[in-house]
Formats: sequence, structure tokens, C-alpha cells
Amino acid sequence: MRIILDAMGGDNAPQAVVSGAVKAARELGTDIVLVGREEQVRSCLAQCGAENESRITVQNATEVITMEDEASMAWRRKKDASMTVCLNMLRDGQGDAMVSAGSTGALLSGATLVVKRIRGIRRAAMGPVIPNGGKGVLLIDCGANVECTPEYLLQFAYMGSFYMERLVGVAKPRVALLNVGTEDTKGGELQKAAFALLKAAGDAGRINFVGNAEGSDLFTGKMDVLVADGFAGNVMLKTVEGAAKFMFGQLKGILYGSTKNKLAALAIKKDLYGMKAMLDPSEMGGTAMLGISKPVIKAHGSSDDRAIFNAIRQAIACAEADVAGAIEANIEFMKLEKEN
Amino acid sequence: MVYDKIVEMICEQFGMEPDELSENTTFIEDMGIDSVDVVELVVDLETEFGLDEIPEEELKKLRTIGDLVAYVSAHSDI
Repeated sequence: MRIILDAMGGDNAPQAVVSGAVKAARELGTDIVLVGREEQVRSCLAQCGAENESRITVQNATEVITMEDEASMAWRRKKDASMTVCLNMLRDGQGDAMVSAGSTGALLSGATLVVKRIRGIRRAAMGPVIPNGGKGVLLIDCGANVECTPEYLLQFAYMGSFYMERLVGVAKPRVALLNVGTEDTKGGELQKAAFALLKAAGDAGRINFVGNAEGSDLFTGKMDVLVADGFAGNVMLKTVEGAAKFMFGQLKGILYGSTKNKLAALAIKKDLYGMKAMLDPSEMGGTAMLGISKPVIKAHGSSDDRAIFNAIRQAIACAEADVAGAIEANIEFMKLEKEN
Repeated sequence: MVYDKIVEMICEQFGMEPDELSENTTFIEDMGIDSVDVVELVVDLETEFGLDEIPEEELKKLRTIGDLVAYVSAHSDI
């Protein structure tokens, strides 16, 4: 297994990326290609005491794609950027999967235009797994496609279902459609049309469609995949993140508010850390770009070395599970003859 | 021939029918595709017709299928 890693992507690059790579090479036994400014990357490797790490190679790339670069054109303008070189290497079969913590838009565009979508897939989508106390819920799409058609949502449902089945080990993943109510007739035109397609796919036994779901259902364990257009999905994701941050802040205020409460906190310290770890984005790895012909993982922009390590672990799992292969094998069921 | 090939590629890529398209069809307004789609189409055209990479300033001028046909006809050996 060989993972291509964008060493220059993310707020803490290249040091955190290189540290995460060294840890992954040693603990996961995977080969890693670090792509970036060679001198900088080698200096970071030396700081990790890994200048002679046999599983790590360095591929020089002199440019860096930044948040200021126009997403759809970045890979064309910066041909020697670390992200562009990674994408070219993945396309050319020089690795099994790639990971980047760089610009989400540039990575999505680059993956679509360089690595290419699976034939028949209309749009690649981003599917983070949201922790829910169990195996998690894959929210697809979470922002790649602000405007969607019913066919896109049908494809998201299949892709999310394959991901949860093959990667997370959920048998017959339950797929729900994000809506403003659980009744079959709820929602706007998009949701109503998508509901009909998802129900037909469910009735045919191709996915396990369980109907509409409201935002508040996310943590109830009623579903394994939540399908949404990128606009609603992104609003939901950011709301959940904000709410979790707020709740933890409030909880911290209470636990440190008095001596009595501090003692109480001490008694449940282990459980609190357990809960924090469960909700820690660094532990979740990255977000898979589903629909791309080869595994591309977007790590969080603020990834530390642990987050990079987990994103590499996820990339390995993605490549081994061959989610793209499952999508390709079922593509005929995922297309509409003609979209009105 | 260039027009037919471009229409074929658009239909394949975006799930459209040939009778929905004409030389005057615009990508963004009529076809409802976004800038990434346009670049994707252009990249495929460069490969299909053996074109050099289309410069960005030229890319921005390509608004309709007719614009694409004219560009490809002028810059390929076909």
C-alpha cells in the first residue's frame, strides 16, 4: 500500500503532516510519498528523527495551492504545486490513495478534473462520518454540491451506503433523506423527487431506504447514511460542530465553577475524556471524496499530526475496501435515463 | 463533425439529449452547469482533439457550444 501525501496542505504543514506520516509509516506499515518542497520536508523529517525512514520517500514540488487560489483553476495554474503533483501521481497509478489538508475546493476540483469521476457519476460528494455514539452517520453531501438534482441525491445514497458497508462494516446501512419532516410528502420539489427515487431503489432491494429524517434524528441511531444536498448538509454539519463546541464550553464552565464541581469532575474525568475523544475530529480521520475514481481523502485544514495519521489510516481503508469498485459495479442502477 | 463530437461528449457527460443543444446553447445559463463542469469539458476536448492547453484568457471567452466548435476547428488538425 502506498499513500500519496500533500506535505504542504493545511494550517500546520509541513511539520504536522510529516510527523503524522512518520507515525503512520511506523505504526501502520504503509509506504508514504511526501510531496512538497523537498528541503522543507526533509528538514521536518530530520526533526522527527526519520531522515532514513525506509517507508517514506520525498517527491519535490515547488509550489503550494493556497486558499486564495481559484479552486477550479488552481491545478491548471500551479502545475508544480504539491496538491497538483499528488493528483497527477494518483491518476498515473503511483500510489493507491491520496491525502491532503489543503484547500477543499481546489482538491475537489482537482480530483474531479485530474483523477476524474467514476464514469456515470454526475458529481463527487463529500461524506464525513458524524459520531453518534455508535458507528457514526455518514452525512453526504456536506458542501461539495450546493445545487443538486434528485439524481445526484440518489447517487449520494448509493455511494454513502457502499462506504458505510465496506469501510465501517455496517450491514445493509439504513439510508435516510434529510428533510423538514418525516412524512413521505414533506419537503420541496428536490426532496419530493429524491424521495421517490430513493423509495424505488429501496423497494428494489438495492439500498435500505428508511424514509425522511429531520436534523434532530442525526444522533438517534435511526440511520447510517443521511443524504442531503450540499447546502443543507453543510449548514447541518457546521451547526452540529458549533453546538458541540458551545456545549463543551458550557460544560467546562460548570465543571470548573466551584470546588465541589471540580471534585465531581475529577470523579468522572476518564468518562469525560472518553466522550471528548469520541467527538474529536482528529480521531475521525478525514472526509472521503466519494465518486472519484480513486480514493481521495480531505483532512481538516487545521489537522495536527494525529489527524493526519488518522486520515492516512482512512485512506488505506478506502483503498482496501474498493468503494469505487462497488460504485462502478452498480452504476447502472444509479443513473436516470433522462433527467427533466 | 467537430460540432457532432462536442455534442456527443456533452450528452455523455451531462446526461443531455442532442436535440436540446445547438450552437447557441450557453453552458452556464442554458445547460445549468458550473465552472468546474466547463473546465472538465474543456480538458476532455483537449485530449479528444489533441489540442494544446487552452489559455485561460481564451477559456473565459468560451460561453456557447458554437464558441467551442470555432475554437477547436481553428486549433486542431480536424
